Amino acid sequence: MLSKRIVFRLLKYNIREFSVKRKFPINPESEKQLPVFDYTISRTTYNRIYVWGCASTGALGILYKHNEIEYKTSQRRPKRSTFAEQHDVTTVGCGYGFTLFGVNSSTNVKLFGTGLNTDSQLGYHEVRNGKPLEVLFLPQPIILQYKNVEKAKIIKIRGGRAHSLVLTNEGVYLLGNNIYGQCGRQIIPDESYQMSRYIHHIEKVDGKEIKDIACGQDHSILVTQDGSVYSCGWGADGQTGLGHYNSESEFTKVQGDIASENIVKVATTADFVLALNDKGDVFGWGNTEYAQISTKDGSQQICNPIYLEMCKNVGKIRDIAAGGSFCMIVNDKGEVFVWGYGLLGVGPSVQSTPVPVQIPSTLFGVNDFQPDTVVKSVHCGMNHLCAITNYGDLYMWGRNKHNCLGLGDDKDQTFPLRVSVGGLVTDVVCGVDHNVVMCKPYI
Amino acid sequence: MGMKVLTDSAETVWKSLNGLLCVYKPADVSCNNVCKTIAYKITSELNHMNCRQPIDYVSIEGDPSKHLTVIRRPNLADHPLVVGERYHPDDVRCTWSSFLGFNTSGVLLLGLQNGTKTAFYIRMSKLMRAYRIKGKLGRATDNFYKDGKVVEKTTYKFIKRHHLDGLLASMQSAHQKKMFELCGVELQSQTAYDLAIQGPIRPADSKIPVIYGIKCVHFDSPDFIIEVHCINEYETYLKTLIHEIGIKLRSTANCTGIQCIRHSYFDLDKALLRKHWTLQSIVTNLEQCSNVINEHQNLIRQDSVTLQ
Repeated sequence: MLSKRIVFRLLKYNIREFSVKRKFPINPESEKQLPVFDYTISRTTYNRIYVWGCASTGALGILYKHNEIEYKTSQRRPKRSTFAEQHDVTTVGCGYGFTLFGVNSSTNVKLFGTGLNTDSQLGYHEVRNGKPLEVLFLPQPIILQYKNVEKAKIIKIRGGRAHSLVLTNEGVYLLGNNIYGQCGRQIIPDESYQMSRYIHHIEKVDGKEIKDIACGQDHSILVTQDGSVYSCGWGADGQTGLGHYNSESEFTKVQGDIASENIVKVATTADFVLALNDKGDVFGWGNTEYAQISTKDGSQQICNPIYLEMCKNVGKIRDIAAGGSFCMIVNDKGEVFVWGYGLLGVGPSVQSTPVPVQIPSTLFGVNDFQPDTVVKSVHCGMNHLCAITNYGDLYMWGRNKHNCLGLGDDKDQTFPLRVSVGGLVTDVVCGVDHNVVMCKPYI
Repeated sequence: MGMKVLTDSAETVWKSLNGLLCVYKPADVSCNNVCKTIAYKITSELNHMNCRQPIDYVSIEGDPSKHLTVIRRPNLADHPLVVGERYHPDDVRCTWSSFLGFNTSGVLLLGLQNGTKTAFYIRMSKLMRAYRIKGKLGRATDNFYKDGKVVEKTTYKFIKRHHLDGLLASMQSAHQKKMFELCGVELQSQTAYDLAIQGPIRPADSKIPVIYGIKCVHFDSPDFIIEVHCINEYETYLKTLIHEIGIKLRSTANCTGIQCIRHSYFDLDKALLRKHWTLQSIVTNLEQCSNVINEHQNLIRQDSVTLQ
C-alpha cells in the first residue's frame, strides 16, 4: 500500500510545500474556472458618517426598531449613519440635541435636520395643521429660499442651544430661537418660536461676504472675508465681546484687541470665545470663571477681546477650540495644549490649570513606529474634547455624558484615547452630548 | 569572532554547550525538526572527537587461599559498538523561546541544555518580534496561504500604495489603543495615565496578539510586503492579517511568505544559517548570544512594562 507521501512524490508534488494536510491534492484547474469579482470603489465625493452619543433626542438620525427606542437611550460606539449612505452629505453641524446635514444637490432640498426642534431650529415640521413636531427622529428636509437653486451650496453649519446657522455661498441663514437676538433679527416679545416658519437670511454684513460662522450657547458669531468678527445674541457674560453685557439683536463688529486683526477662526461652545488670527495669535473673551483668562482684577467676565499673552511661548497656533470650561490649542508642531477646568486630558490628577499645559504627544500615537504623527485639528464639546491627527485618527477624552466619547463604555476618560471608526477621519462636529464624524473610506 | 574550539576533547565541549542559540529557521521546516537537526549535528560531531574510552573490566582471578591476580580487560559492556555512540541526540535538551510556524522562516531562539531556562525567561518577558510578511492581491485561499485552495478571485489594479498606507496606519493606531486595554490597569486611574505617557507598553496577557507597528515596505501590485512589529502573534494570525487587508481594500489577498527578521536584540545578522549548523559555529553563536544577554539584562529580567 502506498503511503500519502509516496503518492505525492509520484505526482511530482513535494509534500513539504503544503502547510495543511489534505485528503486530496488541490486541482489547479479549479482555480481557472473561478469568476473574477470586481468590487466597486467609493466615489471621490463620498463621505462616510459615524454618529454616537445621546440617542433619545433623535440627534443621531438612526432608525431604531419600535421596541428598541425605550432602552436605546444612547449609542456607545460609533454607528454608521444610513442617511449619509443615501445622500451625498458634504457638511454637518451639531447643536444642543440636534444635527443638521448639508447635502450636495441641485434641487432646493440641500439641508436636512434631525433631533430636538423645540424652537424651529430645524425648520417647521408638522403632521397635522398647527401641531409642529418637537422632536425629529430621522433627518427631514429643510427648505431654504435660495436665489439660485442650481448653484447654491452649503458651506458650513453650526448649532447653538436652540438656534442654528447655515452658511451658504449666498450668505447665512439663521433658524430657531431669537429670544436674545441670536438670529440677528429684532427681538419680538412673546414670539412663539415653536410655531415659527420664519428663516432669517443675511447675505452680507457691512457689505462684506461671510467666510466663517460660530455658535455659542445663545450667541452667534460671523467672520467676514477681511477677517472682521461680528456677533449678536446673549451678552450677559460678555460672550458677544461688544464692550457691554446686554443682548444684541443685530450683528455688530467686535472691537477690542481684534479690531485690526485678520481673524481666520473663531471657536465657541458655551459662553467663552477664542479667536485665531492669520499670524497664529490667540484672543479671547466671555465668561472666564474657570480661569480661561486670568484677569488682573479677578473679574469673571470679559466683554472686550483681549490678546492671550500666555499663548505666546507656545509657538505659532494653528487651531483652537473652546469647550464649556476649558480651551485647547494646537501649535504648528502639532503639540496640543489645554487649560481651564475639567478633565483636560493630562491625567486624573490635573483638574484645573490657568496656564496652557501640554498633553504628551505619545498619547496621540507619537512613538518610534510613527514618529511623524501630528495633531491636525482640535474640537471641543461642552464637557469633552477631541483631536484629529494627520493619519486620520480621532482621539477623544473628557466627561462621558450620555456616552458621547464613543469609546464603548460609560466611564470618563482622563487622557486621549482613539475612537474606533471605520475610515480616515476628516472632520468631527461636537454637540453637547453627541458627536458626528466625517470620514473618507480607505479606498 | 568568538572563541575557537581549541580542545580536542568531546567532554569539554559538551560541558560548554549551555545557553541561547540564535538560528535561522528555514520555511517549511517545523521548529521541532530544527531542534532535532541541531541536536543531531552536535552529537555526530562530538562523536568524531576524542570521546571517553570504554572503562576497563577489572577482575580478580585465582584461588583465594593462594595467590590472586588482578586482570584488566577491555570492557565490552561499555564499548560504543555495544552501547552505541557516546553522545546521542536525545541527550541534548533543546527548546525554542518562541514558536515559529511551519511556513515561517527567520530568527529562532533556541535554548541548549541549561539555556532552556534562559529561553523560558525570554518567552515570559514578552519581547517584541518583527516580521516581514509577503502578500499577493487578487486571490483568496481557504488557509490564507499561497498553497491553499483558491476560493475567490478579484481585480486589484485600482489599489495604489497610498490606499494600503492609509489602511495600515489606521490598523496600527487601532492596535495601540488595544494595548492600553490589555495592560491590565483601570483606564481611569493615574497609573493608567502614567503608563500611557511612556509610549508603547507590553500586554499583561500572553494570548492576545498586539501589533505595535505595521507598515508597507514594498508595493509592486499585486505583490506587497508589510513589516509588522508585534507580541503574542502566531502564524495563522499573521496570515489572516494579510487576508483582512485584502478585504478592507475591496479585493482579496493571500499570504505568500513570512519571515521573522528580528526577535528583540537578535536580528538576521546573528542568526545561524542552515549551512552553518556546525559545532564550531554553534559554540561561537552561543558565546555571541550570551554577550547580548549580558549587555541587556532586561531580556530575561523585566522591571518595567514599557516596550523594550
